[in-house]
Amino acid sequence: MIYRMTQLKLRRASQSDGLYDYSQFNKIDGEHPLRETNCDCFVDYRARHRKGAKIAAFNFGLARDMGLIAEDHPNVLTPELEKILLDKFSLVIINEYDILNKVHIDESEILPGKYMATKYLQLQHPNKQGKTSGDGRSIWNGCFKNRKGHWDVSSRGTGATRLSPATSIHNKFWKTGDPNISYGCGYCELDEGISTLFFSEVLHKNGLPTERVLLVLEYPKKISIVVRAHQNLIRPSHLFSHLKQGNVHALKSMLDYYIERQVLNKVWKDCPKGKNKYKYFLTKQTEIFAKMAANFEDEYIFCWLDWDGDNILMDGGIIDYGSVRQFGLFHAEYRYDDVQRYSTTIVEQKHKAKYIVQTFAQIVEFIQTGKKKNIKLFSEHWSQQHFDLIFQNVKDRNLVKKIGFKDQDIDFLLKNKKSLVKEFRKTFTYFERMRSKREVYQVADGITRDALFCMRDILRELPQMYLLRDNVIERKEFIDIMRSSYCKDKDLQQNHYRDRMVDQFQQQYLAIIQAVARKRKMRKFEVVLELTMRASIINKFDRVTGDSITLITDRILRDFKKLDNDEIYRILMDFVEYQNHNPDTKIHMDELHVKKSPIIRSMISIVRENREGL
Amino acid sequence: MKLVFHGGGYDRDNRELNLKAIELSGEKKPVIAYIPAQSYDSEVDFRDFVKEHQKYGLRQFLYFPIDYPFDNTLKRELLKADIIHLSGGNTFHFLKYLKEHKVFNDLKNFAKKGGILTGLSAGAIVMTPRISAATYPDFDCDENEVGLLNFTGMGLVKFEFFPHYSNSRRYDDELKKQSLKLKYPLYAAPDGAGVIVEEDKIKFVGKVACFFQGKKMFMN
Repeated sequence: MIYRMTQLKLRRASQSDGLYDYSQFNKIDGEHPLRETNCDCFVDYRARHRKGAKIAAFNFGLARDMGLIAEDHPNVLTPELEKILLDKFSLVIINEYDILNKVHIDESEILPGKYMATKYLQLQHPNKQGKTSGDGRSIWNGCFKNRKGHWDVSSRGTGATRLSPATSIHNKFWKTGDPNISYGCGYCELDEGISTLFFSEVLHKNGLPTERVLLVLEYPKKISIVVRAHQNLIRPSHLFSHLKQGNVHALKSMLDYYIERQVLNKVWKDCPKGKNKYKYFLTKQTEIFAKMAANFEDEYIFCWLDWDGDNILMDGGIIDYGSVRQFGLFHAEYRYDDVQRYSTTIVEQKHKAKYIVQTFAQIVEFIQTGKKKNIKLFSEHWSQQHFDLIFQNVKDRNLVKKIGFKDQDIDFLLKNKKSLVKEFRKTFTYFERMRSKREVYQVADGITRDALFCMRDILRELPQMYLLRDNVIERKEFIDIMRSSYCKDKDLQQNHYRDRMVDQFQQQYLAIIQAVARKRKMRKFEVVLELTMRASIINKFDRVTGDSITLITDRILRDFKKLDNDEIYRILMDFVEYQNHNPDTKIHMDELHVKKSPIIRSMISIVRENREGL
Repeated sequence: MKLVFHGGGYDRDNRELNLKAIELSGEKKPVIAYIPAQSYDSEVDFRDFVKEHQKYGLRQFLYFPIDYPFDNTLKRELLKADIIHLSGGNTFHFLKYLKEHKVFNDLKNFAKKGGILTGLSAGAIVMTPRISAATYPDFDCDENEVGLLNFTGMGLVKFEFFPHYSNSRRYDDELKKQSLKLKYPLYAAPDGAGVIVEEDKIKFVGKVACFFQGKKMFMN
């Protein structure tokens, strides 16, 4: 109640006094340093103001992180803020169709700047060199910079560009919003915006790099514009298009631009100058992609990686949530059906990430020698071995982290008990990847085969069982704890090897605990108790999946008209904290001053019901 | 039966009651199970609960949410504990899932067989004959968010329990009114205060008020 009163007071104050400064938004004006690369990497569009917009959601937290609003700005949409958001972001490009058909546009509606639609490689595009593919329904609003760094701001749903597959396939320019073509009409649906907002904030909270949604604008017929921001929105495919075209100057220009941004944002603090920076780049990119691939695998994140380097950012951040999922279990054989082709599986992601690194090696060689060598020649490149090494190390780290150990214990284990951790990971992986006797079958958007065990469940419950019994648990108990709803009796027929693996799992797990206890000069039960508390948060019963995000979005949209922007943001904050699985940052929900509303209760039950799914 | 009713507050406010529960168990280091009223956000509460109880030398804990499916192995461990603590939260939600997931009768039997059952706020209310105390006063009651129709509690005692009591006119007026509807006393405990039941004996910790047939008196 006190919180609500404060918010009301702040709202009144901001209405009457113009308390807050929104001038930072004016820096987002279409201008962008990418223009200076002079490498034919974008198409420029004029734009006009688009009427009929309503603010569906505004991410106050991100706006604060970027420095667009003051740190002490309340989570309230003031009239001034609303106005500037609509003025800045409610726009539609004046595209080739408009120009060719001389569509009348009132001069007063035309915005002053120009906006880039960037070119990049896309495998689903007829042109396999990236000459005509790229942002098909997006533009870059600009680059925002302040003392907190440089941020790229881009909007999806701002009109049909010439870079969409539809333009190439049909060899014609499309009118924005043309109902005859769905993907390619330049619009974006409201549910896409809301689901991306919720999904990306959950992943961001849990430490995964991702694009984030700053704003969702709503238009009639559930159409939207989704404004997203990230510190560097360059994708590998932005580079790969120049590589495919054999344009070393453009490629170098784009690569230099990317490196410079990483340096400016202090992400790469020790990057050398001159030619050495390319080796540094390759080392860093190898680490980024190996770490990303390992994290995706361990967090069960399905992100369709392929040779084109689309669907992912150069810094390993997730972009374009259309096909991104988080599985509840390790559903190793799920493939997304994209009509023309099936996607890679979660297991194949690693190989694709490694191939992208191989392409980075090819790029560096091309830039340094001016000669483009065949990609196959880089299959034995040092970066490939480096990738494998980092990948394995991150997998080891992730596993001991999931057990519940703190950073100092993880460092100790990886340094001094590496082989023990590796052996344990093998055993863990055996259970994690066990599949149902039921073969591959069709699901709504692809095909899958079920995993059997919920590894979060065993990692959550095992320490407290040891705490109580001070002994290993029985084989059947072990299996029963982690058995998922997909696991049928026929999947659990007598199996001596599995029995041995249960024993081995527990022996290795306890040996790891013993090692940490010895190092910290603690008694074993003290370590186990600490793990009990931490593992209950890390391996929480309720974890969001792709299916649950879809259903949650539907649920929010059902009540959308009843919710104002401030309420949407409160729901977002509450949900994201509920899905915070970091024991070091987890706070009491009371501290958010959020009342658990019926909508939040529905969201919780959706997450719970879909926790093992896709 | 050995029961402890907590009026509310943080774990650190309930030191006396916590120590009494440990003493009732007859064990130096009893095993204590923690059942949250709702799992939502309860991992953090469990962490606080453990930290407080570690100060009393306890070392074996079980975290056992009952509003999502659980394994029977864990349930068996729950019922082997020396003390089971029912946490605070939404009383309706708590009672619904205690019954739905068939823990309700097990806990009654646990208490009847000599296990120590302790409850804080909602956790205390569910141990009484009915959970009516969660429905009033209008300005401070739980929302029946789960649409519960049957308010029958465990009935382990012949009194009702009102937590988070504040010694004020508006609470007193409401509690006097409610007590007129009851055949047994209504004990009201502020945060940190509570009631200890040991077989036929009843003891009060802190400033606990008793409302009976429209009248109020303090128990100590």
